[in-house]
Parts: sequence; structure tokens; C-alpha cells
Amino acid sequence: MLLPRRDLLKGLTLGAGGTMLSPLVAQLQAKAVAPATPAPKRFVFVVESNGFTPQQAAPVDYKRKSRHQRPLGGASEMVDFALTDHKLPNALEPIAPWKDKVTIVQGLSGKVCGGGHSNNFQALGAFGGGRGNGGESTAILGPTIDGAIARQLPGIFPHIGLGISKRLENNIIYNVSAWDENKGLPTMCKPDNAYATLFGSVAGGQARQEFAAKNNLLDFLKDDIRKAQKGLSGQEREQFGAYLETFETLRNRQSRLNEIQDTLREKGPVVSDKYSSTVETDRLDAQFDLGAAALICGLTNVLTLSSAAGVRDFDICFTGLGLTKGKHHTGHGGSQNGMTWYEVSQMIRRFHFTLIARLAKKLEAVPEGDGNMLDNTLIVYLSDGAEGHHSRCWEWPMVMLGNVAGQLKTGRYIDYPAYGFKGHRTTGNLYTTFMKLAGSKSDATFGMQDPNLKDIDTHGPLYELFA
Amino acid sequence: MFGSVIRVLAAAVLLCSAGSVVAAADHKPITLEASQDLYKKHVVPFIAKHCASCHGTEKKPKADLVLATLDPDMKVSSSAGRWALVLDQVVMDEMPPDDKPRPTKAEVEAVVAWIKAEMKRSGKNLERREQVRNGNSVPHRLLFDPKSAAAFDAASRVRRLSPEIYEAFMRDVGKGVNGLGQPFSPVGYTTFADMGSPKIDEPITALLINNALAIVKKQTAFKIESGEFKKIGFVPREFEALIDPGNEPTDEQIHAAIRTQFEKVVKRKPTDEEAGRFLSLMRQNIKDAGRVTGVRYTLAAVFLLPEVVFRSEVGDGKPDALGRVRLAPRELAFALNYALSDRQPPSWLLDEAAKGKLDTNEGVAATVKRMLDDPKFTKPRILRFFREYFEYGKATEVFKDAKAFNGHDARTLIADADRLVEHVLEQDRQVLFELLTTRKAFVAYRTAEDTKKKRIEARKKFEEQKKKDPKKYANKTLKLPGRSIYESYGLDDFPDKQPTDLPGDQRAGLLTHPAWLVAFSKADENDVIHRGKWVRERLLGGVVPDVPITVDAQLPNEPHHTLRKRMRVTEETYCWQCHQYMNRVGYPFESYDHFGRFRKTETILDPEATAKNVDKKGKQLGPVMREVEANAKGGIEFVPDKSLEGDVDGAVAYVEKLAKSEYVEQVFIRHAFRYWMGRNESLGDAKSLQAIHNTYNESDGSMKALIVAMLTSDSFLYRVPSGN
Repeated sequence: MLLPRRDLLKGLTLGAGGTMLSPLVAQLQAKAVAPATPAPKRFVFVVESNGFTPQQAAPVDYKRKSRHQRPLGGASEMVDFALTDHKLPNALEPIAPWKDKVTIVQGLSGKVCGGGHSNNFQALGAFGGGRGNGGESTAILGPTIDGAIARQLPGIFPHIGLGISKRLENNIIYNVSAWDENKGLPTMCKPDNAYATLFGSVAGGQARQEFAAKNNLLDFLKDDIRKAQKGLSGQEREQFGAYLETFETLRNRQSRLNEIQDTLREKGPVVSDKYSSTVETDRLDAQFDLGAAALICGLTNVLTLSSAAGVRDFDICFTGLGLTKGKHHTGHGGSQNGMTWYEVSQMIRRFHFTLIARLAKKLEAVPEGDGNMLDNTLIVYLSDGAEGHHSRCWEWPMVMLGNVAGQLKTGRYIDYPAYGFKGHRTTGNLYTTFMKLAGSKSDATFGMQDPNLKDIDTHGPLYELFA
Repeated sequence: MFGSVIRVLAAAVLLCSAGSVVAAADHKPITLEASQDLYKKHVVPFIAKHCASCHGTEKKPKADLVLATLDPDMKVSSSAGRWALVLDQVVMDEMPPDDKPRPTKAEVEAVVAWIKAEMKRSGKNLERREQVRNGNSVPHRLLFDPKSAAAFDAASRVRRLSPEIYEAFMRDVGKGVNGLGQPFSPVGYTTFADMGSPKIDEPITALLINNALAIVKKQTAFKIESGEFKKIGFVPREFEALIDPGNEPTDEQIHAAIRTQFEKVVKRKPTDEEAGRFLSLMRQNIKDAGRVTGVRYTLAAVFLLPEVVFRSEVGDGKPDALGRVRLAPRELAFALNYALSDRQPPSWLLDEAAKGKLDTNEGVAATVKRMLDDPKFTKPRILRFFREYFEYGKATEVFKDAKAFNGHDARTLIADADRLVEHVLEQDRQVLFELLTTRKAFVAYRTAEDTKKKRIEARKKFEEQKKKDPKKYANKTLKLPGRSIYESYGLDDFPDKQPTDLPGDQRAGLLTHPAWLVAFSKADENDVIHRGKWVRERLLGGVVPDVPITVDAQLPNEPHHTLRKRMRVTEETYCWQCHQYMNRVGYPFESYDHFGRFRKTETILDPEATAKNVDKKGKQLGPVMREVEANAKGGIEFVPDKSLEGDVDGAVAYVEKLAKSEYVEQVFIRHAFRYWMGRNESLGDAKSLQAIHNTYNESDGSMKALIVAMLTSDSFLYRVPSGN
């Protein structure tokens, strides 16, 4: 008979008496009886620009009928089958080793987002409107799902945004993640700078210097605000107090980074040429590297990896894959290197899944609880350009890897009824699902309701996905 | 939310114990015991004397409120909300009722002090509640009663910069810098965006630091080319000396660089003390982080000084006989500047402050007039007030199906409304009346001429081609360039002259402007309720409570009924408690459809005809609609100005009635006051408000005069220090 590990160890105490335990058993026992702290849940969002053709998300041996871009423009019934006997589509092949942990979700709409070359913050926010209404709005009308989860699962860094920009000079940009209404979260586009921010405390050279200077700056301002606060009372004092507290928090973060120096040194990434490369594939590779290390070192629980998401960046050219023309060209059906637009976009997507596979492998290699880190992680892949180059958000294909401690029933392909049919669901519903997975107790549906879907129920999570 | 309040309190306690004893007593929350003692000593007798006859323990207490048993421990119970209500009623002198004896000032003060202290102890955020509460809850009759005697109570405060100010600051100081992010956002739920005093949290500071570093990096950009130092772009000479590896910076050079950064960012020279501290920081940073990084982080620190991040209205000098202090000259210069502009104050304004010109009200008035008349001094905040007051800018947020009417262009409508406001402000006579009644309109004023020309050319070209090849063009129809935006205004074509006159029986002012009507509409229908709510609050000075969370506010989905018919659900007793304040004041706008087009009929589904609309095989061919007469009958009730009361039919007669009311004008003034003071009015502002209203009247409704009156009012110039 197999006894659960915890019970077995507890039993040992009774038999042998506490004082007689060998140090090893004592140690094991301490672990076993200690209040069970659940392993942290983690979320990774990989956002690639320029749309995700629904066809490229369907298993190769399954013919998905393409949908019309209009209400009731496709199947009225839900499709749900196991991936076991199916072959993942070409672009997704790199994650085939985890097929039983993959969920492909199709048929969700995000019409409130407005569409265009990019939906910017709206892609992860499931909201719409504001400047540029009708397409490509850069308004931030609420938190995006990664920001909302970051608040739910705070880490040393509540959220880390890493990415690449078409414009090499860009360091920190704001276009995909948001903490709250009008509060964009940064995407760090230079791996070397991002390294300094995340691992600067243990680095040498420039990163180390930045870390030291930042400490001095925070201390200086703490003193300065304290000074200014002196002699104030009432509301003024509280305002200054709150400002002071932010410096204390930031300084505290710097200290915590210092405290986990050994971990950072041991598990931190090794900076290579890729970190300052002018080739976008290298930089993206470096960012995945950095992101994996950040998760493994416990720097954050929420990571967003942006591959040139956002309306000002979507036209990136993947020279590292031998291409000479940007994604705009591909999006307009342009071929190159003897490949059709479809093949080119498939190749670029496949490259992204190669990086995702590498990330999954790294997480899998780190033991955690009775399993490994990947067991407690969800990796979500989507495009800020929804279903196409000129997205209209009738459909929004999503690929997920992971089940977050067994909460999801995975290894499936799910295709929701087309826009307007009963049972049709939106990206807001999927994000509500994520909030639930992250432990949110709220019943609120994430994002904005689509006013044109008022006749069908678009509230709550996607119950079908839960285990 | 409460978490952060507790944190702030905890921080305050820590600071007090760390040696700063100033006003410690004000900030240390009292203990439960002390609170209970105060309650027994002051509140129990107060309730017995003034409240118990209606809110005692008898079976049917008024408003379901029994004060004697309302839990005085707000931490363990949910009584705080009801105590806040008690606070409001007592402070506003709404309770006890008029026919009952008045409590003494000392009695009221003791009760108020206890409620506030207990709220603080239990971590209930009264301050936030006061910030976001509808300002209309302050009784109008007391604000405009010349005998009003409430003491002036505008408390000193600091506020962080508004998002617009910070954006302008980044544009000016951080010109050409990539990757700057907006750290601030409005507090939300306040009548105007720049109200209340949201606190700075950690993501904001993190962003402020990032922005500062990005700007400084550009300010100190350089490269080394074949061993030679070369600056990139504009780098101040004083900064160059610090980053050039060939130069070992002297103290004097560091001082000069810090001075330059102060002048750019803080708009003043550093004090000797500040100069000394920055010198030490610079030296330390260079030592710890190397020259370039050290210099950059030190120069970036200037951007994070509290003086740069906050707007201060604390005042200086001794309180006068009324316990008030006047804003310090420099504070006043910034306050006046930010009342109208988003950019940093011009140097002439700071000079005037330094020379003592703002020490008298006449001096302030002259300065405000100079700002108003100076075309070089940009004043975006004036138009922004009208945008936020009328809220027509929301028009872009309403999804509309382009197929239903492709002449709709929300952004153009908003631009037209903006231009109309500007036009009325240019005349500057009876501004509110004009805004509510003018028949003038700008119609796609930016593009009308161009589109019209293009359309004539397109038509000409089409006819020519048709003539050449009649066969090919026989079945082709001409697709005109641009959108027929004029249709939103009920016109047949773009007008030749802007502004143009709209039919007087169809339109009158902004509330009949398509931008406003669309802003208060839904994807495919009018929004009577929110139109009504707007009128109730912004013109009639009323208060409509928020939708109770238990209510699923939905009209039945009955396309075969008119909107009015579908709104019957809001007339059920429970709903009507609030809807009585909105429905009837919103119905007159049923003169327009949800795109803002004037109409005489409303389109609804014809179920019978639809059922018959089938092909030979019985397949549905789609819905059939029918027209019924549009009913724009509504009415005004529940207002102090009895001349307003009664039924109305149609929007034009309705807004004309509203526009003539002096009461409505006063409500408008209250809103302007709220916007420019950045807070809700209180009874202590009664004198200021009355003076402002008088000036508006005497100046024939001039907005300029109104602004001068507000910015020279006691409410703007004076503060009561905290703790007084």
C-alpha cells in the first residue's frame, strides 16, 4: 500500500519520538508538517504581432472550415476533441512533447477591441474604444489580463514585460500590458538593460553600476521626502507619506534582490552577445532566456514576452530567419525566399514555439513540490493582431501550455460557436478563466462586454476548460 | 484600498515615533478605548437630545436608521457607511430637521470629531468618500444664501501633477526622448478628471524614475570617436563637463550642472543646502557607479523631488483672523498657471510672483487677465472644462454599426462641438445660455470644403466616363469620397459657410448636438436614462445614487416596442425611487435618433410583417420595420426653481426653458468652481460662489470674467492649515 508522503513522515514521529529522529528525517518531517504553502502559480503571455491565422492553429489532420467575418459567419456548434490522436499544426510542432498539456482555443471573439494592425493594450485587456476608435486604439481603459493577474499574484516584481521592438533605439515601451486604467506596464526591449534591472545586483560592470546608483538615488530621495514632509500635517503629510513609501518599497525590492543574490548568481542567465544583438531573433531568444531565469529565480509570477506587439512595431522583419521583408509585406500576401505569405508566417510562428518549448523545458527541469515548475505555470500564446494582418477580431486563436496545478483539462482542441451563436464566447471569458486559475474570488467578467452580443450570455469564465 | 490606507497610517505612525513630533496627535489613530469614551461622552447624549425622537428604538424608525443601536465600533461592524451619512447630514445642517431645535456648534464639532477619529481608527477611507461624492449633495440654498455664515474651510493640500501637466512637461523637457510613459491617471468617479488627490503608488514612482533616466540619457548623450569625446544632439555645456572622460569635474562644475537641471526642471535655483546635498550625491554616485552612470542618476534625481511631482497649496505666513493663510507667491504662480495651462509657468509669471505682484487680489486679477489675453499663453484647460462638463467627448466610446448610418463620424462630431464651444467663447457673452440655445453649428468644419470639392470632381469625372462608355457605366453608381457627416445635423450637403444655421425648431445648443446625443446613446438606441442623469446632475443640481449592485440594469429586449415602452420596467416602485429623477428629464431628447439625427418617427420591428416576409420555400428574408410617432414628452420635477417645473414636449422647448433659469446658471457656476478648484464646494465657499455668480451676471455672462472671479476668490487664494 502506498502511503502519501506527508502522512508517512508524520507517522514517523509517533513511532520514533521527536528527539530520536535523525537530522535528515527531522528535516523531512519539518517540511511535511509545515503548513502547506502552495507552490506559486505563474503565468506567461507570449504576444506575437501580425495576427494568428486560425488555420495555423488547427491540427494538420483536421480540416477547419474557415469562417466569414460577420455575425453567424461559421459553425453554430462547439467543437471539442482530444489532441491525442491528432498531429499539432506545423507552427506548434515544437511543443508536441507537451501535447497532453496543450489547449488550443479557437472561435473566441474580441470585437470590442476594434481591430487593425494591432489591438495594442486591448488585446490583453478585452476592452475597446478611446482614441482611434474603430481600430488601433492605444487607449488603456482598464487593466490587461497580465496586469490583473500580477496584482493577484505579486512577486518581487509584480510583472515583468520583456520584448523586442522594430525600432532598435527603443528601450522601454508601453503598448501591450497595463496595471490599470491609463497605467501602462513597461515592456523592456533591450535584453542587456533588462538584465541590469533584474539581475543587476549580482552582475558586474554596467549593470552592477546601475544597481548601485539606483540604491543611492532611492536613499537620497527617501531622505529628501522625509525632509520635505517635516513640518507638514494633514493631507499633505499623507501625500508625502505615500510617495515616501513608494521609495521604501522600491528600495526594499533592491534589498530583496540583494538577499537572493546567491539564487540570482546561481540560476541567473549568462549574458551573451545575443543580449545586445541587432538581430531581432537573437534579442527575442535572449528575452526568453531572461524571462525563464526570472521565473526560476522567483523574481516574478507574471511574465509577458512581446514579439514586436503594438501598432508601431508590428512590421518587424525577422532577418535572423533569412527574411528581408517585414511582416507588413507578409500580411499583404507578399511571398519571399520562395515561400508564400502563409509559409512565411508559419515559419516565424514556429520559431516562437521553439522558444516557448525551450522555456517549458527549462521550467520542467526545476523541481517544485511533488512535480516541477511547469506544473504550476500557464504559458499563453496569442497575437495582438487577433486573427489576421488587418484584424477585425471576429476570432482570436489562443494556444495554452500548462494546467496550473491540474486546474485545466488539457490536451484538447476547442472551437467555440461563431460570433452571435448561442454558446459563443469572447476573449474576456478566457481572461476571466485565467483570473480564476490565479485564485481570484471575484465573479466579475474580465474586460468589456460586447454590446452587440447582449442577446447571448458572455459572462463568467470558460467553464469547459476547467478540469 | 483599505490596505493602502492602513499602510499610510502605519507609515505616519512610524514617522511620528522616529522623532518628528509635529502634529503627531493629529495622525496617530486613537485607541478603541479612547474612541468609546468619546462616543459615550459626546455622541450618546447628542443622539438622545437631537435624534432619538425619529431614529430611536421605536418600531418604525425614519429612514430605517436607529442611531442608538448603530455600532460605534466601525472596525468590527459595517456601520461606517451609515455613520458617514450621519456626518454628512449633521455637517450640512440637514439634520435635525428645520423645525427642530439646532444643536450647538460645540455639540456638532464633538460628534464630527468622533466620527472622523473612529473612521481613522478603523481604517475607513472618509477622505476618499468626500472626494468622489457628488458635489451637488451640498445644499444649494445654503451656498447661495447671502446670510450663509459657515466658516471658510478650504484645507491646505498637495496634489500630484495631472496627467496632462506631466505629458506637457515630458514634451517640453523630454523632447525627442523615446519610451516615456504616462505614470498618472485620473482618480476616476469624480465629476471632473483633475479632482481629488490620488496618492502616488509604487508603479508610478518606478515609471517616474524610468522617465527621468530616459530624459537624462538624452541630455547627456555622447560617443567616443577615435578617442575623441563627441556629444550627440543638444547637451547643455554644464553637463558636458561632467561626462567628458577627459575632464575631472570640479565642485564648481557639478554645482553648475545641478543648477542648470534645477532651472530646467524645478524652475528655480537650488538653495545652498540643496546644492550641497546634490554635490554629495554626485560624488557618491560617481564613486559607486562610475562617472557616466553616476552623473546620470544624480541628474535624474532632480525630476523626482516632491516639488516637481506635486502641486503645493499649503500657503505660508501666519494665519489671519479667520484662521486662513494665503498661498505663497510661488505656489500661487503655479496654481494660476495650471488653472489654465498644462505647461510649466512662463518666466514672466514667476518673476511677477517674486516681485510681489500676486500679493494683492488686484495684482492677481491683472495677472489672470494678462494670461487670458496673451495668445502665446496656451489655455487648453478652458475648453477641457466644457468637454468634461458636457461630456460629449464620450461619443467615440460608443460603438456604432457603420452599416446603420455610414455618415456617422464621432471624432468629427466632437471636433465640431469643440469648435462651437470656442466660437461661443470668442463672443464671450451669455456663455451658458448660448451654449444651451445657439442655432449655430460647425459641420465637419475641418474637412467640409475639401470633401465638397472632391465630391464635385468625382461626380464630374463619373459623368464624363459614363458619357464615354455608357454600357460599362450603365449599372454603376457613383461612390462619393468622404462621409456625409452633414446628415447627422439634418442638412442636405456640407454648408458653404461655417458656422452655419440649423433649423430653429430642430436644434438648440450643445444638448441637441449630435456629439452630445451620441455620447449619451448606446450601440443601437438612445440612452434616455443617462441623458436624464446628466441633466439632473449638471443643470438641475440633483443627486442620483449609483445603480445598486443588486440591480441588473437591463431593459427588456423587445425590438417591437418603443424605447419608452421598454422603459416601463424602470417605473416599478423600487426602481422608480431613482428613475423618477432621470426618466422624465431625459425623454425630451427622444426628438433625435441614436446617431443624433432629428426625427419625427421612431423605427421599431413589425413582427407580423416580419413573419410574412418569407420566400416561396418559407425561408425568412429578414426583419421588417415600421415607423411610429416619436414621443418626446417629458417634464421637470424636484427642483428648487419652481418656474422650471412642469411638462415639456421636445428638446428645443426643453433646453430653452432650462437656459433661462438663474438656478441652472448657479448650478453651472458650481461645476465651474469644482473644476477650477479641483475639489467639491463646501458651505465655507458660499461667499466665493456668490461673488463669482454676481460677477458672471454683471459681465453679461462672460467666461473670462467668471474665470478671473474664480481665480481671485478666497476659495482659490486661501487655505486653512491642517490641524486648525
